[in-house]
Amino acid sequence: MKRLFCLILLLASATWRLEAQNPGWPVPDDQKGKICLVKFTPDMVKQGEAIYMKNCQSCHGIPTKKNFAAIVPSPGDLSESKVGSQKDGELFYRITTGKVPMPEFRNILTEDERWSVISFVRTYHKGYKQPDPEKLAGAAGKRIRLSMAYDTVKKKIMVKAVELSKDGPQPAKGAEVVIFIQRYFGNMQLADPKPTSEYGYAGFDWPQDLPGDKRGNVIVTARVNDPTGSMQEALVKDTLTIGVPTDKPSLTDTRAMWSTRDKAPVWVILTYTLAVLVVWYFIIYIILAVLDIRKIKQV
Amino acid sequence: MEKIVNDLSHHIRLNKGFFIWMGFLVLAFLACLYAYTRQLQYGLGVAGVRDYISWGLYISNFVFFVASSLIGMLISAVLGLIGFKWVHPITRIAETIAVAFAAVAGLVIVMDMGRPERLAYVFMYARFQSPILWDVTVITTYFVISLLLLFLPMIPDMAVLYKRFSKLPSWLKPVYKVLSLNWTDHPEQNRIIHRSVYILLILIIPAALSIHTVTSWLFALTVRPGWDSTIFGPYFVSGAFVAGSAAVIIAMYFFRRNYKLQDYLTDMHFNNMGKVLVLVAFVYLYFNINEYLVPGYKLKRADALHLHELMAGNFAVMFWLVQVGGLLIPIILLLFRRMRRPMPLTVISVAVVIGAWFKRYLIVVPTMAHPFLPVQHVPENFKVYTPTLIEIAITLLSFILVLIIITLISKFFPVIPVVETAKDKGLDPLKSIES
Repeated sequence: MKRLFCLILLLASATWRLEAQNPGWPVPDDQKGKICLVKFTPDMVKQGEAIYMKNCQSCHGIPTKKNFAAIVPSPGDLSESKVGSQKDGELFYRITTGKVPMPEFRNILTEDERWSVISFVRTYHKGYKQPDPEKLAGAAGKRIRLSMAYDTVKKKIMVKAVELSKDGPQPAKGAEVVIFIQRYFGNMQLADPKPTSEYGYAGFDWPQDLPGDKRGNVIVTARVNDPTGSMQEALVKDTLTIGVPTDKPSLTDTRAMWSTRDKAPVWVILTYTLAVLVVWYFIIYIILAVLDIRKIKQV
Repeated sequence: MEKIVNDLSHHIRLNKGFFIWMGFLVLAFLACLYAYTRQLQYGLGVAGVRDYISWGLYISNFVFFVASSLIGMLISAVLGLIGFKWVHPITRIAETIAVAFAAVAGLVIVMDMGRPERLAYVFMYARFQSPILWDVTVITTYFVISLLLLFLPMIPDMAVLYKRFSKLPSWLKPVYKVLSLNWTDHPEQNRIIHRSVYILLILIIPAALSIHTVTSWLFALTVRPGWDSTIFGPYFVSGAFVAGSAAVIIAMYFFRRNYKLQDYLTDMHFNNMGKVLVLVAFVYLYFNINEYLVPGYKLKRADALHLHELMAGNFAVMFWLVQVGGLLIPIILLLFRRMRRPMPLTVISVAVVIGAWFKRYLIVVPTMAHPFLPVQHVPENFKVYTPTLIEIAITLLSFILVLIIITLISKFFPVIPVVETAKDKGLDPLKSIES
């Protein structure tokens, strides 16, 4: 009996610990240790606040106000201790990967932007001390510089990765490159990530039917986002005139039923105004006529 | 003449019954007003409406109110212009109901607003393309026309009562004096009134049709199952006549009993109103069959879900009670002359009105419960709509307000047109004023 009781107690405490440590969203161990490579600065916090208000506030509310959205699972207030007790790497991982209903911000925010959001959220966590980036300086990974050009013959976007080592720049082999195209909402990933060749190149087939702006401009971003941390994040962003020129007027440019009041279809404005004027003309005419009744005296 | 004036006006006094009834209404009003202050303080969250089912009792009730107010047009304009003389004693009752329901319908919308102090924004930021602007416009217009149609025929009555009805309470005399606009039965005055009423009777037909058609468009201009229908306009209008006719019959019954108007609201009037009710109910039944059979035959996926929910799912009990108890059985019963006598007709009308109210609920809520995109990651109370006590109290508030308006108008003014009744009986009200 005693043993059974002990067993239940043990099981119960084990489940409880599991519950407490793992709220259904495990973070891989190798990601937990990730830290920001620069010291948080007030500027960074400010930038983070702006990004937070634009991307996070609609669900998480304003920290400490507990005005987060009533959805399941609850997003919760990020100033709470259960967030404060998490490592920077855990927060970074969660922002990066997301978990339904939380969106993944991997392609929406750059690493720097994600870190600035963390720097902002951390201002609400009492007793938080940022892990010293200096100590990691040596282990920060290789520095990579990216460049990008369009190969008109092969119809490919060629990304070149160069490692900036002590002995001068040399081709970076095996850097994982991802390409994004800027669309209305966030960035669209073009293809699966590709490692660079031994000459530091990665080529991506360019779809010939991808719409660009009026001139065919497309904003392309290439990024090295090495999961192992052996390379630092590197990014190149460029406007290339390689899309299909697209000059569709915006749906709200012309007069339409769905547009603003100033862009209402003329026939709607006319019909409405005319109907109101005609009916109210008669109503006012009648009211005035009826008031005249008072002036008529018995003959 | 003397008898007519007396019979139709003797109820205009402050008696014990009035104080008890009004006291009850005012107390209930205050209690429900408290519920509204809670909503003002804590926001719409105190009601059961949530993100998905954002239209609940309030909007269902709004549709019911707009519907009930339409009867003014049917009785005064349609039946009146055709030349049915029997409707004369009923016109004022119908207009009173129209004015009361139309006035409160606007308030019901305000009750459904999370930030009522921003009411002016409805006009400041109005879009010509939005049926909401059209709805606000036509309801205001219809209310003004109904008010004029209630008031204009009453001007000669008030003049006659002011001069001939000795028991008119002294505090009401100045009101009557001002409102009777120096009426002397001058031919020119009669000409103005007749012409004005005639214009109004024509004007109110398109106005009334628009008010309920536009209300139906608030739903039908979306693609949601149950609302995406081209016959929603006539469907709503015919349903409105059903609710309104039944409401008028109930009012007739109470006025006849309480104000002792048996000589003026006779069995003939009830019989005829019963016929009107059964006629409009048949039209409504026809639209109901269309509204459910056509999508039910095609069974598009979303429609199938919706219809299943109505006829065999969560709303099945309410649906069949409304269709059978509030429409089918009343139609069958009303085909028999015996059922069109005052008492049974009134009981049937009560069932019809209750059915009509729940019918609006069945139009509004089930569709909202089935959006096209899946409902996910929300608390349980977002998925199922349950009206809260506060919400019910606020809905009652609107009903109490309607009753207060009807009570005040009917208590302090003749319910049945005095001069018109005298003229129909071949008497000359002119002489009564001159003397």
